[in-house]
Amino acid sequence: MGLTRWLAGVIVVAVLAALPLGLDAYSLRIATGVCMWAGLACAWNIVGGYAGYISFGHSAFFGIGAYATALLMQRGMDWPFFATLPVGLVVAAGVAAVIGAPTMRLRGSYFAIATWAFAEMLLQLVNVLDVTGGPGGLSVPPYLNEHFFYYLMLAAAVIAYLAVWVLVERSRFGFRLRALRDHEPAAEALGIRTTLVKVQAFALSAGIAAVFGGIYAYWVTFIDPMSVMGGEITDQMVVMVLLGGLGTVWGPALGASLLWLTNRMVWSALGDTAIYLPILGVIIVAVVLFLPNGLVSLLPGLGQLRRRGHRLLTGMVRKL
Amino acid sequence: MDLFLQALANGVLIGGILACLTIGFQLTFGVLHVIDFAVGGWVMLGGYAGYWALTLLGLDPFISLPLVAVVFALVGRALGPLIYHVRTSRYARPDLMALALTFGIFIFMRGGALWLWSFNSRNVDTAIAGPAIQLGPVALPVLRVVAFAAAAALSLAVFLFLYRTRFGLAVRAVAQSRENAGLMGVDVPRLSAQVYAVYTGLTAGVGVLLATIYSVNPDVGVRYTLFAFFVAVLAGLGSVGGVLVAGLFLGVVESLVAIYVGISYSHLVIFGALYAVLLISPQGILRRGL
Repeated sequence: MGLTRWLAGVIVVAVLAALPLGLDAYSLRIATGVCMWAGLACAWNIVGGYAGYISFGHSAFFGIGAYATALLMQRGMDWPFFATLPVGLVVAAGVAAVIGAPTMRLRGSYFAIATWAFAEMLLQLVNVLDVTGGPGGLSVPPYLNEHFFYYLMLAAAVIAYLAVWVLVERSRFGFRLRALRDHEPAAEALGIRTTLVKVQAFALSAGIAAVFGGIYAYWVTFIDPMSVMGGEITDQMVVMVLLGGLGTVWGPALGASLLWLTNRMVWSALGDTAIYLPILGVIIVAVVLFLPNGLVSLLPGLGQLRRRGHRLLTGMVRKL
Repeated sequence: MDLFLQALANGVLIGGILACLTIGFQLTFGVLHVIDFAVGGWVMLGGYAGYWALTLLGLDPFISLPLVAVVFALVGRALGPLIYHVRTSRYARPDLMALALTFGIFIFMRGGALWLWSFNSRNVDTAIAGPAIQLGPVALPVLRVVAFAAAAALSLAVFLFLYRTRFGLAVRAVAQSRENAGLMGVDVPRLSAQVYAVYTGLTAGVGVLLATIYSVNPDVGVRYTLFAFFVAVLAGLGSVGGVLVAGLFLGVVESLVAIYVGISYSHLVIFGALYAVLLISPQGILRRGL
């Protein structure tokens, strides 16, 4: 079983790694965006999908990562780029742990409102502070190498999915998370320290989002409060995961790829993305009404296919 | 001192409108158990409807308000069954799916408004103007006083409706216990859709009032969703009586922060306070039932 999965994963990654050979610079930028959004959706899914806590505040963590990188690379600080990413990760995970402990006592919709309030509060704070450049934003020393950013985003996304696979899908931690999603009092009665588990998941999710924020800041070389902390970032993460399938490993990647490609196609066809937002809205409504388990649930044959592939593969291995 | 009194008066006048804005939201939560993220979207669309009534039909916003309310009530009546369906469905987490649904509706409204009308603000002018009423050191703009009175009248109408009619009795019964009300012969799905219609109509009507005072643009929705959440959380979700106090409180706080701290800090303070209130007392500070 494991063999087929690993092989499929390796093939996908190999194809993605070879992608720049056949793409022009513009398409490569889109592919980089797909990797970024796939990673962000994956991060959101840890809390929203596996733990069952809908966060409307993940833009805050993306923004923390972006601002950590941008601030540390300002003239006077001059940190090397790669040294800033762990800082963003630790700061975001720390913030998530600190606010997570009280916030995650709130259930359901209360949690959603609280995270939303927190993210908007942080957005307003960044807007009025001097050190973050206020509404004017910050510039980062430019490094114009599209291949570098593509591979970096791809590597980050691969690591994020591996982390989810190892830490959440196939571990005791993941079982605890899903147990508390399905019935929190029962999980607690079984001896699971639900608050601890929830805060760990929240911190993990925030840290991953922050890393992508840091790479994004270096990639686009200029950030302002709305572009890295605006509510639209959260909106997209939520929709991508809902569309792909809540609490599944590959659902977020599927949803992110589809939506980001749609976004870019709309942009290149019409010159702006104004129509994209109503499309997002319609997609959420349609998914909630007709496809609550996401696109992944449309592939019931996948398991069968995998089993058949597995049999074929083990047969071949045995013959060798 | 004069400045303080003026800020207080401004805050009370706006706060009354914000209280009225939240009543429908609370009714929806009480009856449908749905937190409607789109509440600010209804306010925004109501404002645009008032603008259209003014520019296309030449109707003064205070005359077109009932019309707008009726139109949006019809929209809500059509949308209500969908929301009830999701909330009572067999999904793993119907409460979160319903929240996601209204979140989608809100993104659709905001995105649609941005796409159709772009970022520009639109003013909804009204014939009601004139010199401010002087009360000692405090000046009360006529428009705001009239808007406050209209909001007070709307709120009063909702309260009479809730406490003096058979329909209101059914609404309160469902808010207390959906099952028992259903057993007593209340058609719960139908009533839920009707409550949602009352909510959208009322909220859009308030949107017209707010558009006459401020202007309307696609981004005001987020602001009013925040205000509604703040008032609702402070009052206790589902509590209709508490919103009167909480709404006035929010109006006064916003006005004081804008004058004494700076207008760019007002959202920071309100979001911060909302977060703090949620953490300290998620049941609300003024918890009282419907």
